[in-house]
Amino acid sequence: MIWAVIFGMGILVFLNRYVFLEPRLPVRLSSNARQFLGFAVPGMLTAICGPIVFMPDKQLNLQWDNPYLLSSLVAIGLVLYTRNTLLSMLLSMAVFFLLRWWL
Amino acid sequence: MPLSLATAPWGLLAGSMAIEANLTPLQGQGLSSIVFAGAAQLVAIGMLKGGAGVFSILLTTLLLTSQHLLYGMSMRSVISPLPGRWRIGLGFLLTDELFALTSQHDRQQFNRWYALGVGLTFYIAWNLFTLAGIVLGSSIPGLEHLGLDFSIAATFIALITPVVRNVPTVVCVAVSLFCSVLFSYWQWGSALVLSGLAGMTAGFVCNKLYRERT
Repeated sequence: MIWAVIFGMGILVFLNRYVFLEPRLPVRLSSNARQFLGFAVPGMLTAICGPIVFMPDKQLNLQWDNPYLLSSLVAIGLVLYTRNTLLSMLLSMAVFFLLRWWL
Repeated sequence: MPLSLATAPWGLLAGSMAIEANLTPLQGQGLSSIVFAGAAQLVAIGMLKGGAGVFSILLTTLLLTSQHLLYGMSMRSVISPLPGRWRIGLGFLLTDELFALTSQHDRQQFNRWYALGVGLTFYIAWNLFTLAGIVLGSSIPGLEHLGLDFSIAATFIALITPVVRNVPTVVCVAVSLFCSVLFSYWQWGSALVLSGLAGMTAGFVCNKLYRERT
């Protein structure tokens, strides 16, 4: 039963990823569609982050002692200041674990 | 390349949660090597633990991973002319991270070997960290309360922030962020993809208006 779930999920995820890469699928992308898809990175990745940052433990948390929120702000600040993706990521994670331990 | 380090906490989490939910180590590893989709894996493990049915797990997976449809669509112009082996290989490896790293490349800049290298690195790292998670999860209980999920937010923030250079993108991010929190608060199953689409639509409309004025 669990193996059925695993293989079923594997197939679904692969189809999701592959279907538009298939050249025989008759889809032509208009310039509008291309512009729309240009917003895919900021749009989708932000949507993934939102609940993680604002709703730890599935509860809306807008308090200043929410370590997720504080460390995210630190991460944004670091990227803007250093322009270094990896450094900002690692430093903000360090800040996060410090805050969790401290708050 | 070093971005694959950021999958560490997620992989650890996926591995240790699988053990926590009474999956066998082989099943835990199977999830990572066959499904290879972080968020969907974690949710599915949670649902298995809660005793959900096969159908509802598969439906949730479909909704949670439907952002890959958008990735596929936007990579179509560079990947679909490649031979079948490449399409299937890169299709399997097309994750959030790979998309974020290669989507800005047009047909001239796109290098299939680079994409394959990045994709495989993520795949191997993900599976190694899952294995580590399985081992640790079998010996140390309570690993999932450490807040490892922040690493994914940190990665994505670091990837998004440099992209936000103009007003339409700011609008896109703001709408997407607001909707994702609101829809998750309402516990919609498809919160993620709907808010992503809302953000993209907002950015697109704003882009149109912006261009017409100038």
